[in-house]
Amino acid sequence: MKNLKIYFPALLIALALTSCEKVIDLKLGDDTGKLVIEGNLTNIKGTQLFKLTTNIPFTNKNTYPPVTGAIINLKDEKGNTYPMVETSHGNYTANDLAGIPGDAYTMNVFTSGKTYTARSMMPAAVTLDSITTKISDFDAKKRQVIIHYQDPPGIVNQYRVVMFVNHVQVKAVFAYNDDFNDGKYVHNEIRQQDIDVYPNDKITIEMQCIDKPVYTYWFTIMQQSESGPGGSVTPSNPPTNIGPTTLGYFSAHTTQTVSVIVK
Amino acid sequence: MSSFFLLILTTASFAQKQFTISGTVKDAQTGETLIGATIRIKELPQIATSTNTYGFYSLSAPEGVYTLLFTYIGYETISKPIALKQSQVVNQLLSSRSELNEVVISANKRNNDNVASPQMGLEKLNMSQINNVPVLMGEKDILKTISLMPGVKSGGEGNTGFYVRGGASDQNLILLDEATVYNASHLLGFFSTFNSDAIKDVSLYKGGMPAQYGGRLSSVLDIKMNDGNSKDFSVQGGVGLISSRLKVEGPIIKDKGSFMISARRTYADMFLKLSSDSVINGSSLYFYDINAKANYHFDDKNALYISGYFGKDVLGLKNTFGTNWGNATGTVRFNHLFSNKLFSNTSLVYSNYNYTIQSFSSNDSFKATSKITDLNFKEDLQYALSNNHSLRFGINILHHTIAPGDISSPESSSFNSKSTERRYGLESAAYISDEWKATQKLTLLYGLRLSGMMLLGPGTFNTYDAAGNTITSKVYTSNQSVKNYINLEPRVSASYLIDEANSIKASYNRNTQNIHLLTNSTSSSPTDLYVMSSNNIKPEIADQFSAGYFRNFKDNMFELSAELYYKQLQNQIDYKDGAQLIVNQDVESQLTFGSGRAYGIELFLKKKYGRFNGWVGYTLSKTERKFEAINNGNYYPARQDRTHDISVVGIYKLNERWTFSSTFIYGTGNAVSYPTGKYNIAGLTNFSYSERNGYRQPASNRLDIGATLEGKNKGRYHSSWTFGIYNVYGARDPYTITFRESEKNPNTTEAVKTSIFAIPIPSVTWNFKFN
Repeated sequence: MKNLKIYFPALLIALALTSCEKVIDLKLGDDTGKLVIEGNLTNIKGTQLFKLTTNIPFTNKNTYPPVTGAIINLKDEKGNTYPMVETSHGNYTANDLAGIPGDAYTMNVFTSGKTYTARSMMPAAVTLDSITTKISDFDAKKRQVIIHYQDPPGIVNQYRVVMFVNHVQVKAVFAYNDDFNDGKYVHNEIRQQDIDVYPNDKITIEMQCIDKPVYTYWFTIMQQSESGPGGSVTPSNPPTNIGPTTLGYFSAHTTQTVSVIVK
Repeated sequence: MSSFFLLILTTASFAQKQFTISGTVKDAQTGETLIGATIRIKELPQIATSTNTYGFYSLSAPEGVYTLLFTYIGYETISKPIALKQSQVVNQLLSSRSELNEVVISANKRNNDNVASPQMGLEKLNMSQINNVPVLMGEKDILKTISLMPGVKSGGEGNTGFYVRGGASDQNLILLDEATVYNASHLLGFFSTFNSDAIKDVSLYKGGMPAQYGGRLSSVLDIKMNDGNSKDFSVQGGVGLISSRLKVEGPIIKDKGSFMISARRTYADMFLKLSSDSVINGSSLYFYDINAKANYHFDDKNALYISGYFGKDVLGLKNTFGTNWGNATGTVRFNHLFSNKLFSNTSLVYSNYNYTIQSFSSNDSFKATSKITDLNFKEDLQYALSNNHSLRFGINILHHTIAPGDISSPESSSFNSKSTERRYGLESAAYISDEWKATQKLTLLYGLRLSGMMLLGPGTFNTYDAAGNTITSKVYTSNQSVKNYINLEPRVSASYLIDEANSIKASYNRNTQNIHLLTNSTSSSPTDLYVMSSNNIKPEIADQFSAGYFRNFKDNMFELSAELYYKQLQNQIDYKDGAQLIVNQDVESQLTFGSGRAYGIELFLKKKYGRFNGWVGYTLSKTERKFEAINNGNYYPARQDRTHDISVVGIYKLNERWTFSSTFIYGTGNAVSYPTGKYNIAGLTNFSYSERNGYRQPASNRLDIGATLEGKNKGRYHSSWTFGIYNVYGARDPYTITFRESEKNPNTTEAVKTSIFAIPIPSVTWNFKFN
């Protein structure tokens, strides 16, 4: 449903054949050096990864300084604490840990004299059944990717999809919920303009089942990246579940990865 | 001693029996009633009045022999001798005259209403100005022309939304023959819904709203349709680059009744067909609209008017997706003269806005609809109590039905059918105002409007806490009152005439608003959703103070004004991050509430008469909003906060055949949020932001020119050509500024400015008239 907004700018661009694009120099402010926490806890052992970095000025190269030496703990609600180990600069893992769907987890990140906490609930897993493609409505040579899954009826579900084409990640955020398709067998067209898909491409989809605050986080980023007519929604930092407020999120989610070769 | 005599004299004159002169003023050629024509008595210069919306006037004078002067801009002034022995009816026809002759008109007949009237913050546009101002693709546009007035900011390219004195775009009450028009834009905002062929009069109140208007905070745009020629049949039309239009009008019964039908349709989609791109040539993109009106005058005391508007936009992307939206309005009005001093108008108004979005794709086929329907009863009475007091009072009962959204989809679709509860509400108001000529120099327009809002069942109504969680939930039966709000809205304006050409004015008014637009897009989108004041949403309130200096030069040839305003806004609405507004029963849980303030000064210089006329407007202003959850609860500039705004409009009539025109605009860029850093999340570059709207888009400027060539008159047939160039020097005003990863230099990010209509866009329209 939300994807439909994409059509408006497409039509506007068709209308405004007179438009032009120009890279410009802007004097932008510098509010950097802030901690960025990207915390993921999944239901599969060996995939737990926390990345700690800081933000950098807009004009810098995209190299993000790692934050090292932080102390990170994950706690479940049965009283167990799982410490995470820094395996490389700014990357923290807990190899023996697998989250249990239905359980809530709390993270504690201690760095530079401050403790950051966040709580996230790992929802029950929903299985990604299959990935298919169809001929693009806009270009017969191109393919449109569709994922298929059975949304469980009667409960609120949120999903995040990460898509790769020939092992290259599509640069877009895909967050969905079941507001409009609770309990349906869902055929979800993954609409994106970053990488065109052709026959014989390898498509890899990671499907995550996420909780509501994490969905709001991703959905806000998704909304802000849609350039609607006259500009999209006013951009701001997406609402984080981490306190005290900093950049990033903590997500306890299930994960499943499926690959297909496009016919 | 002398003052004693004066007192006696005045008392004597009061004691003298007063007789009433009343009647209607019309155009001699077409029989159209003239709105705002001035009537005065030459021998008693302190007595003057003007015609109301229906061309009616009423004034009183003691017995005597007088000369009545009828004046109306662009028309010959008529002097009519009368011997007043008893109350009498004087209906007058006025002939329009060529502006070329205007220079020879003696100055004292030009009126100085703008100086003398207590009304402030009023902008009136006459249709000949609208017709001459150059516009995009030659589509004459009332809203685009309105935005050239000081204090009015356009929503920018591709947006007919406008912002008046710091208000939001949903805080304008847009009335077409008294019917509310909810979405005033065609094609996502590139054109306005008003076909200027069908329009007679346009008034925009930026402040000092008279008490008969209510329901919106920031402005009233009151648009009146033509009645139709009651003398002769005529057909006129035009063929332009993107649209064609046709108007037919004529008498139903000569001098008693007439009709007018005006229609237009765009054919931009024909051009799309020419494209080699299969997406573009398979798309549809058009709008059409129809205005119709008929009236019948039973006698001098009773008249009936019926008018309607219907417009639709259709937009489709090949066989995948389609949307259409439109407004429909209908107005039935009955004028009755209870006496030569008491004029009554009773209106029954219907107004509807709806949209449909459809997806035809086999996987996610669905149809979503949303609708708002109003039924409105108005009774308005105008009582010319004496030459010093004109009273206006009435009531207004408005019923809203809102169907926020319904989705229907086949079983095979990924979507569920879903519907949200209808919402019902009753807005009622009673008002009274008096225009009081307290002294020769001081005139007051003061009034009071009592407005009520009652949200009605049936349905389930929730209240939410700040986080959006449901606190209470209660089921109401049909027509059961859910929530009531009552507001008292005082309105006061005063003018003090220093001399005939100079005045100062001041006003205060309070406005409230009970129907609110929720949109998470900055442009006019068809998916606009309206909600009423409720348990969670309080009525929006605006208090506006303004003061101004008004001066006319060169025998009213030039008008100069400076107006200061300060506006305080309460109970403003914004949505939370990640809000989902479409077909959401709990949409009110997605909202957050705050306040706002706006202040500024508007300078306006207008040359009203002569071969060369036009205006220069300048606005210096500040518009801020304050929400607890945004910008750490501090005031921040609203998007439309543009510090400087300049507009220059010039129209030059070279001779009987050629008229040239030009407009120039300059404005500070919109207040926007730019990144103050970047970071990596999920393998993607994201931008971090600090304060809200802390940056400015680059300033915008544009020059447009136009020319009209009138054909030679050939009997009953007349034709003309209108030429225009939009954006003459190809200014690349920012439409959007976006931030992205650079394709050229991987590993870096860049800012990209997108401009639309960034090259000169010529237009040509051929117009004809046959009568």
